[in-house]
Amino acid sequence: MATEPATEFEFGDPAVLAAHDPRDSVAGLGPWRLALRRLRRNRVALAFGGLFVLIVAVCLAAPLWADHVAHTDPFQNHLTETIVVDGQPQDVVAPDGVPIGPTWQGRFFLGADGNGRDIAVRLLYGGRTSLLIGAGAALVTILMSIVVGTLAGYFRGWVDTVISRVLDIIWAFPPLLLGIALGTALSLGGLKVGPIEIQGDSRLIPILIIALVYVPYMARPLRGQVLALREKEFVEAARAQGAGPAQIMFSEILPNLASTIVVFFPLMVANAIILEAALSFLGAGVRPPNPSWGTILGEGIERIVTAPHQTIVPGLMLVLTVLSLNVFGDGVRDAFDPRAKVRLGR
Amino acid sequence: MRKNLGSALAIAAVAAASGIGVAACGGSDESSGGDTGANAGGKTGGSIRIGSVLPDSYDPVLLQTVQANQPIHLVYTGLVTYKNAEGKEGNKLIPGLAEAMPSISADRKTYTFKLRPGLKYSDGSPVKASDFEHTMKRLTFLGGPFSSFVSGIQGIAEYQKAKQENADISGITSNEATREITVKLTQPDGKFLFAIGLVNSAPTPAAKSPFKSASPPGSGPYTIKIDNPTRQFVLTKTPGFDIPGIAKGNLDKITVVKETVPKMTQDVINGKLDFMTEDPSGDDLPLVKQKYSDRFRMDPNPPNTYWFFMNETVKPFDKLEVRQAVNYALDSRALQRIFGGRLEPTCNFLPPGYAGQGYEKIDPCPYGDPDGPPNLAKARQLVEQSGYKGMSVTVWGPTKDPRPAIVDYYRDLLNQIGFKAKTKVLDQQVYFGTIGLKKTNAQTGFTDWFQDFPHPADFFEPNLSKKALESSPTFNFQYKSNPVLDRGLAKLTPETDPGTVASEWAKLDRAVVEDANVAVYGNELSTSFFSERMDFKNCSGVHTVYKNDWSLFCLK
Repeated sequence: MATEPATEFEFGDPAVLAAHDPRDSVAGLGPWRLALRRLRRNRVALAFGGLFVLIVAVCLAAPLWADHVAHTDPFQNHLTETIVVDGQPQDVVAPDGVPIGPTWQGRFFLGADGNGRDIAVRLLYGGRTSLLIGAGAALVTILMSIVVGTLAGYFRGWVDTVISRVLDIIWAFPPLLLGIALGTALSLGGLKVGPIEIQGDSRLIPILIIALVYVPYMARPLRGQVLALREKEFVEAARAQGAGPAQIMFSEILPNLASTIVVFFPLMVANAIILEAALSFLGAGVRPPNPSWGTILGEGIERIVTAPHQTIVPGLMLVLTVLSLNVFGDGVRDAFDPRAKVRLGR
Repeated sequence: MRKNLGSALAIAAVAAASGIGVAACGGSDESSGGDTGANAGGKTGGSIRIGSVLPDSYDPVLLQTVQANQPIHLVYTGLVTYKNAEGKEGNKLIPGLAEAMPSISADRKTYTFKLRPGLKYSDGSPVKASDFEHTMKRLTFLGGPFSSFVSGIQGIAEYQKAKQENADISGITSNEATREITVKLTQPDGKFLFAIGLVNSAPTPAAKSPFKSASPPGSGPYTIKIDNPTRQFVLTKTPGFDIPGIAKGNLDKITVVKETVPKMTQDVINGKLDFMTEDPSGDDLPLVKQKYSDRFRMDPNPPNTYWFFMNETVKPFDKLEVRQAVNYALDSRALQRIFGGRLEPTCNFLPPGYAGQGYEKIDPCPYGDPDGPPNLAKARQLVEQSGYKGMSVTVWGPTKDPRPAIVDYYRDLLNQIGFKAKTKVLDQQVYFGTIGLKKTNAQTGFTDWFQDFPHPADFFEPNLSKKALESSPTFNFQYKSNPVLDRGLAKLTPETDPGTVASEWAKLDRAVVEDANVAVYGNELSTSFFSERMDFKNCSGVHTVYKNDWSLFCLK
């Protein structure tokens, strides 16, 4: 007897199943792999993510450009020097104080600033500073938010009340104003808490300030999530098995916050970079002569007509970096939960 | 006067009452008008609008900035005052409310003034001899920025201890009948007359104290009406003002409005304003210099000096070699660029405005031509020799533009000659107070000085002398003094006319430069920018004491 022809489907072969039924193909995947798969399909997000990686790579290469191409460092003044451009000697800074524009050659590729410093070199080193502060502040924000959000949401009661009111107070101030106030105060005497002392010109100061002002923006949603999670059956099960609050928070709740944190991170970095630039522009962030995109902008604003390169170039870098992070961050958010409406800022 | 504080510097206060006169109708027997000091050929009448960041105070005993001095010296007149004239003539003291220069006793400790007869304030009340003492009391009691200038009057110390505004100052006696005012000093002080020529010492009516009216009575050629102290005030000609030798003012009305520097620059360009008290900044400066040169000028007024201080009590500046190295390495041409061309390189500590009063160009400069390249090789060699190579140095500076750029230049210079330098930039408002405390131990950094009154001791004494170290905070950021300078000050300051001992003052200037107590790099040029309506050629009113004397302004 002729055997019945095999059907198109062979049970027990997931590869075949996956090839024919997309719904079944994702059923066995964890949320992280699912998210990664969705992200990989988002070409726009990936392109902007690539752009961000490129910016980071270029900034990391700053010493190479400084040593081997520009032959100067980001701090060196060249006020009275001349440079040959198109066969003609030109002042790096003219006697009336107007600096040279882009030369499109190794030295002063993007021109000089008012102190005769190479803008291209400062831009690259400034990018390192801006990215470091952005990423550092975002990390500190996340860490602080996890701690306060989890404590408030898990314990509720007076702990929640105290933490929430403190967050409300911080939230009541516009981030920029609070940042300026803290930046101005701390830049004078630095920060001294017990044995820990941070100098006023340290990059840790803007990192901590930015981290602090953004804590409510992340801690509050996390607290809400923890409030919901603590009522879930798996938490009750853990509790029934004798797990204490610390164990429950670390083992049961934190892992469930991970996707939210991942979604927040790139958006938080973008916001931190913008705030750092604003604070530095206003003199309350990175302390001169340390370069950051904000300080370069601030130094150039008075010469926006005669030396527009001083503002256009760092401004462009800021736009590209923040745009790339935001588009990539949106992609990450969509990948983790296409229905979510998570947004940072006000 | 002071470090270049606040917006525009404090120029110094100098001023004084100069000119302008007594509101009062003067009842002088002398012919009125006469030599008013006003520019010949200047058109009279009309009104103008001036853009300013506005005065730090409208009270003459409390004001400090040039933005206050320029208008307020037109409202009050001192017993003596500065001549309304451009150039060196502006340094000359002339009688103001006093009918002549004072008689000075043989021991140079007693000054006797006599008020002009029939003087009245702008509200019609009589000017009394006792009003001068009243002003001295207010100046001292309120602790005005320039109160130290009159601290040499006998009885001031006791007055301060009494802590009562109406207490007596034993060194001042007034006779209403004879209109005589006698001032006794504890010791001869040649600066005294120059100091009371400032508007801060101008008599104000004791009967009208305290000073809170929107239209306070004055004794100058203009009367002030403060519409809104933070927005606008108006100066109008005082009817009947007539004091011989003091300009009556060409314009009928001067309205002063608050504006930002970029806005006031645009408004002067467009003719919405006729003058601005500030210097065009950033992009605007080269634009104005190039495009409106027919109504723009730069002058080293008020006289000023910029230098880097070096604390001689801390390493590495305790060694002469290091201070010399800094002087060898300084490149004034670089700093000139940071100032946008508004800096005249020099190595003298005294500014050129003191020509004939102590300024003699040091040529050649001991550490190289200030208009030429620096000698970095020599500087590095000296640092090596000092044994301090590689030492950490913090360069201090204030936030006001372009100070951070100056400080960064200096940081880079120190690194080039062998130190590990970093900067510390403080807010302008707290900077001098912070580095002026010995406990701060500020190693080196930015400082400047703008003339208070045209006397060389005004530069040397507060900034470099032993006496300056007695106050805290001090402006002597070297925290040491040059013995040659201290001896010279003791000898020369009692002289009432510095011009008679000008060469001696010049020797002191040379001594502080040669001993590398300071690293001087230049004199800042201030700007005068007018609208097309103004008679720039004849009436720019550039003045060594007031920066611009508005009583000399006129329309085309």
